[in-house]
Amino acid sequence: MMFKRLFIFLLACLVSAQLFAEKTLNLYIWGGEIPKALIQTFEHETGIKVNFSTYDSNETLYAKLKATPKPMYDVVLPSAYFVERLKKQKLLTSLDPNRLPNLKNLDPTFTDNNYDPQNQYSVPLIWGITGIFYNQAWVKNIPTHWGDLWNPLLRHQLMLLDDPREVFGMALFKLGYNPNDSDPKHIEEAFKSLQELAPNIKLFVSEGIQSILIDGDAVLGSTWNADALKAYRENTDIRFVYPDDGFVMWIDCLAILKNAPHPDEAYAFINFMLKASSGASLALIEGHAITNQAGKKRLPEKIQNNPMTYPAPEVLKRGIIQRDLGEKTIELYNTYWQKLKFSL
Amino acid sequence: MKTKNLTLYAIYTWLFLFGFIPLCLVFVASFLSRDATHLMTLPFTLAHYKALFSPLLGHVMLRSLMMALITTLACLVIAYPFSYFMARSQHKSLLLLFIIIPFWTSSLVRTYALVAILKFNGILNTLLINMHLITTPLPLLYSNFAVLSGLTYTLFPFMVLPLFSNMEHFDFKLFEAAEDLGANRLTLFFRVFLPNTKRGIVSGSLLVFLPAMTLFYIPNVLGGARSILIGNLIQNQFLVEENWPAGAATSIFLTVLLLLLLLMYRKPRGVKS
Amino acid sequence: MSDWIKKIYIGLVYTLLYFPIFVLMLYSFNQAQFSLQWHGFSTHWYHELFQDADLWLAFTHSLFLGTCASFIASFAGLVICIHLFLHSHRPNRTLQSTLLMLIILPDLVLGIALLIFFNLTSIPLGFFSLLIAHITFCLPFAIVAINSRIHNLDINLYYSALDLGATRSRAITHVLLPLLWPAVMSAFLLGFTLSFDDVIISYFVAGPGYNILPLTIYSLVRKGVTPELNALCSITFFLSMLLVVAAHRLSRKTSS
Repeated sequence: MMFKRLFIFLLACLVSAQLFAEKTLNLYIWGGEIPKALIQTFEHETGIKVNFSTYDSNETLYAKLKATPKPMYDVVLPSAYFVERLKKQKLLTSLDPNRLPNLKNLDPTFTDNNYDPQNQYSVPLIWGITGIFYNQAWVKNIPTHWGDLWNPLLRHQLMLLDDPREVFGMALFKLGYNPNDSDPKHIEEAFKSLQELAPNIKLFVSEGIQSILIDGDAVLGSTWNADALKAYRENTDIRFVYPDDGFVMWIDCLAILKNAPHPDEAYAFINFMLKASSGASLALIEGHAITNQAGKKRLPEKIQNNPMTYPAPEVLKRGIIQRDLGEKTIELYNTYWQKLKFSL
Repeated sequence: MKTKNLTLYAIYTWLFLFGFIPLCLVFVASFLSRDATHLMTLPFTLAHYKALFSPLLGHVMLRSLMMALITTLACLVIAYPFSYFMARSQHKSLLLLFIIIPFWTSSLVRTYALVAILKFNGILNTLLINMHLITTPLPLLYSNFAVLSGLTYTLFPFMVLPLFSNMEHFDFKLFEAAEDLGANRLTLFFRVFLPNTKRGIVSGSLLVFLPAMTLFYIPNVLGGARSILIGNLIQNQFLVEENWPAGAATSIFLTVLLLLLLLMYRKPRGVKS
Repeated sequence: MSDWIKKIYIGLVYTLLYFPIFVLMLYSFNQAQFSLQWHGFSTHWYHELFQDADLWLAFTHSLFLGTCASFIASFAGLVICIHLFLHSHRPNRTLQSTLLMLIILPDLVLGIALLIFFNLTSIPLGFFSLLIAHITFCLPFAIVAINSRIHNLDINLYYSALDLGATRSRAITHVLLPLLWPAVMSAFLLGFTLSFDDVIISYFVAGPGYNILPLTIYSLVRKGVTPELNALCSITFFLSMLLVVAAHRLSRKTSS
């Protein structure tokens, strides 16, 4: 029967497609942080084919990792506080520094930290700050504190990051607490404060921030400094503010998953990303502040001194690095976060 | 034929394995709990179902039902005269073809097009400003209005097709007969035409109502913080909250709702399957 | 007068229906990168599109997946329909209910059901999980499409062939199949379109090693995309339109 032959032929195609496997790397990273062009350069230089998918929050990354017993990915790009969490859950492989000769390019301020001592499990790649953005064509009262967002005149105006730690961080700063506070009473206070903020919230978003900012669909809210910079490049009305009552700093780090299917390719990739040229590409295309000292030196003066990316040291003093809070506190956060989102 | 029987058994096994069993798994999962290391574990609990009726989630459920209802009504109001005109036209198959073409193209892509139209400085606002109807742009995007527009736009063909196929079979000579018997226009519509299109109305409504609640990508792309519907809730429970049992419970609730609606559909028509 | 109202109304509805698609195609010639406002004419994005290997890969993946899933589903549907047509005198209740359930069940529920199933059976998410899912949702549609046609056939044609000395298999392949061919083609096209555009079920069961177009588009749409996506969407729109017109021509030819 003709159908039988066709069927067998199709089956053969299917099977052969799976057999012609080449060297591959499965990358799962933040959207908008590693440019495609850079990944393509890596593919050309090493001949390793890269499958990459992106996420827009650490929580999505975490959920995906927990949902599959055998890891589908090799390299991930969690924020420092999630490196801590993944480390505690034993989901990361400890890194062999001998296989990463380009580690010497890193800025020493990032190599000595307390979220992953001696960078045993992660390699810091980019860092940034969460602050307030506003569109000066539409916003006349320039915000200086997180508390300014609670102004009742701002009904349905705010765009906030779709991230529980960031949003609660805002409220904790406003109340005068530390964003890494795990006292349930303080977190409850922050939740109540956010309920007061609720009428002002227009949308929660973590992806495609630039086009919302550029086209004026949101004129005020919280965002990451690199996204504000990218928006500024196409609309000079966008401004970024480092709030006076404090702000969080985050560091996104490359890490290799435990039992990753392609460990050798993973090391090759991380080593490639640590090159000075890679660091410079990252900064130029995606606008992030990089941890790569050698790379930073290659950037034009204009970028090295841009306050939107590299704020002055006095400003940086107000910043607090986000840390892991432990599973119990995270549970609490998640409960309040769901309550907040669903009550809107 | 031996191979025929083999293929047949293979197909039945497939449907059982990948159709029937996963659905049973959802049912069982909805009664399970979860802990820090496992996505689904014993003990059995009704907590997830109870949560659906709590003020927190009940609010989302009500909103979904409302939005689905409004979408269905909007589709019905626009599609009804449209299907009528189509059914009486000489170019039936051409008109039908042009309704089907957008239906075959990816609705995600068409939803994305709506973003450009509804944006703050997008096409609709620019048009309205140029026509001097408004002075500052309207915040149309990231609102319930945008979601309703998106849902109505996407599900419109699903209302047209059943209505049209129902109206196509209507014997329009009945109009002449009724007019001869002295019926006026209103009577013609309410007592002759409308009752005969009931079947089309109900099919169309069913085909629009449920997807209006479960097409999660439309509120995701067009909606703001206040546009979470049942579909988004389930997506959230599975992939963000990692609360698979809760997500399973919400899905079962949705399925039961569906079955109830279908039962209501079947009852007045008797036992015909 | 009422004729004019009719024409205006129909025209208005079609305009509203096609306007977003037209906008999409117009913006594929937009010059700006992130913004969705008009900045000038340029075919730059079509050039970018043709050089974007990842997008093409996703496109070919979807094409391959759709073809396989739809082919298998149509074939399976054909076999079931023929078997039921020729052999059963009472309808198979469980089969009917499972098929009905699969059709009316929202995609979302089927998607999560399969996710739970794959998780418990440790089937990795990737091409095969997608293939299984797509075959599963295409199958009921294929069966319905072929079944509706098969019941319009005169079963006596088959029995006459048997009476005239044909073996069972010859009777099927030379009498039934040619008559059913248009229905099988429609089932295939229907299944292919469903699979090619599926977002919801694929969202839950796809893996990292096999990118498909709808999910790539979905993540690009939420990221704030470049008009390259518009260029891709315009092209897929034309392709779908060609497919629909072809299917329409096919069904008209065979029914006449």
